[in-house]
Amino acid sequence: MSNVVVLDNGGGLIKAGFGGDLDPSVIIPNCLYRPLSAKKWLHPSPISISTTTATATAAAEASSDLDLTSASVRRPIDRGYLINPDLQRDIWSHLFTSLLHVSPSNSSLLLTEPLFTLPSIQRATDELIFEDFNFASLYVSDSPSLVHFYEASRRPTSLLSRAQCSLVVDCGFSFTHAAPVFQNFTLNYAVKRIDLGGKALTNYLKELVSYRALNVMDETFIIDDVKEKLCFVSLNVPRDLQIARKPGKDNLFRCTYVLPDGISYTRGFVKNPDEAKRYLSLTDEASSPSLGVKNDVIELDVSEKTENRKKIDLTKNEFDLTNERFLVPEMIFHPSDLGMNQAGLAECIVRAVSSCHPHLHPVLYESIVLTGGSTLFHNFAERLEKELRPIVPDECKVKITIQEDPILGVWRGGSLLASSPSFEAMCVTKAEYEELGSARCRKRFLH
Amino acid sequence: MDDDATNSFRRMSSRTRKVAPKMVAALASSDNRSQAALARLEALENDNAGLELIENIDDEDASLDDDEQAYIQKRQSKGTKRKTRQAKALEAKKAPKTFMELLHEASLESLPPHVPSYIKAAVGPPSSTSRRHFCTVCGFAASYTCIRCGVRFCSCRCQNIHNDTRCLKFVA
Ligand SMILES: [Zn+2]
Ligand SMILES: [Zn+2]
Repeated sequence: MSNVVVLDNGGGLIKAGFGGDLDPSVIIPNCLYRPLSAKKWLHPSPISISTTTATATAAAEASSDLDLTSASVRRPIDRGYLINPDLQRDIWSHLFTSLLHVSPSNSSLLLTEPLFTLPSIQRATDELIFEDFNFASLYVSDSPSLVHFYEASRRPTSLLSRAQCSLVVDCGFSFTHAAPVFQNFTLNYAVKRIDLGGKALTNYLKELVSYRALNVMDETFIIDDVKEKLCFVSLNVPRDLQIARKPGKDNLFRCTYVLPDGISYTRGFVKNPDEAKRYLSLTDEASSPSLGVKNDVIELDVSEKTENRKKIDLTKNEFDLTNERFLVPEMIFHPSDLGMNQAGLAECIVRAVSSCHPHLHPVLYESIVLTGGSTLFHNFAERLEKELRPIVPDECKVKITIQEDPILGVWRGGSLLASSPSFEAMCVTKAEYEELGSARCRKRFLH
Repeated sequence: MDDDATNSFRRMSSRTRKVAPKMVAALASSDNRSQAALARLEALENDNAGLELIENIDDEDASLDDDEQAYIQKRQSKGTKRKTRQAKALEAKKAPKTFMELLHEASLESLPPHVPSYIKAAVGPPSSTSRRHFCTVCGFAASYTCIRCGVRFCSCRCQNIHNDTRCLKFVA
């Protein structure tokens, strides 16, 4: 009777714990960082589980005891894939030994791996697991199938469960996938990917703030917090751009973020949270249906207060945000605004569905599941539905559900799978790995 | 480290910015604007987006496991000392390949057309090419383009701000 370690090894956050548990025991950023005050690269401290949902911020939690102003960061994962096994070994070793307190040689491992992982990366991963850590056995899964598995068991009467079919949209740290799942397997010939995720959004926000207010190009952790607390998805971009240029109280989007000063507080914060929430009072009433249309129609009012922004005040430790709050998540819906030659999320979904058998199309559109931290922006699902409806065939219903916890959903699916009676038989044992090698063991995981 | 530990904001703003070699090359090339646009997209995937770090990432990022190497790196990044031969050798041994390098090595193009792969999963270009442009200074709809760096602005006022303080200053 060995226990199963369930490890959702994200590019942003590691979620780790034991098969059968409700929630992971440990959530920790998948990186090392070096604050200005430190000479060494340090392991971030774990994030408390209760705070991962909604507006809670991974970055700020992680930094609770440390000033992360201008800290450098090293990540084992580049563009979603594990490229630095040495660094990952370091992080996992800390995780298994000091946080989970497991002995790998007596444990099985359920590991999530991104779709289309290159064979060379799979080989390096298997070496880590069997040769460095000596796990007794391994099962590798992808996030969409685990999300489907979890949702199907949670809602046994839903169409998703009855048809054994769903379209999982995973908008995570490194990239965004629209992945059809059928009978618990991801149909990878139909998967479509946008090369944008939470990391790019944070970097884009850094760029905007640095352009407009003050230089935060080195402030990954602070700007992560700003993004998570203040960004949202617009349901009507032209209208909201207009609102964002209004002076004074009429500008429902203006809010102020205070940077850490390194003395009285080591974390930044929203200056006036009530002010920051004023945008919630906006309804979708007057919105135009043509969101994708060029909005050159906004007339320019160059003469006066169009730009109500204060002059950059270098003695101030805070900055204002207005339209940045929705222009950042806007990228997921229109990457071309940034000059990326990629379709936005709605088209991405349609292309994924269209690559499947026509019989599946109605079920897929009616069983769209959103997961991943970057789907937590307010109005994400509403906006997606708005863009999707006009480009989906009329006879198909569009139904989008967001996972109860988009950060933990994949892990929970893994935990459920690891506690199912058939799990042990699905694994590859260390002995099998030693006999067959990585490539042949990997074939086992595809059906 | 910074001896004048006054407050964090000063620490941020007092950092001097060097333009990364890639950017310099990009900007000097014949097609400035599209090169700069590519460099900007590339930068969205950086871990340490500050320009001074871009130049360190490729060659030094991987070699910093102990104090001594961290010290070497610190001196490097301040641009005061040249790398020792030993440090260089260490880097060459330990620097991990980037994903793009690994992807190239995997030569997925040679797979038969029906085999799904990372390359085939890319969503592809948008069906409508209507790109919206937002002013980089204020964020509103922008109809003008900076001839030097390709960045957008909406009005004379924003153009002046751009020219005075921002043109070519950041990756953009
Ligand atoms: Zn402007
Ligand atoms: Zn310019």
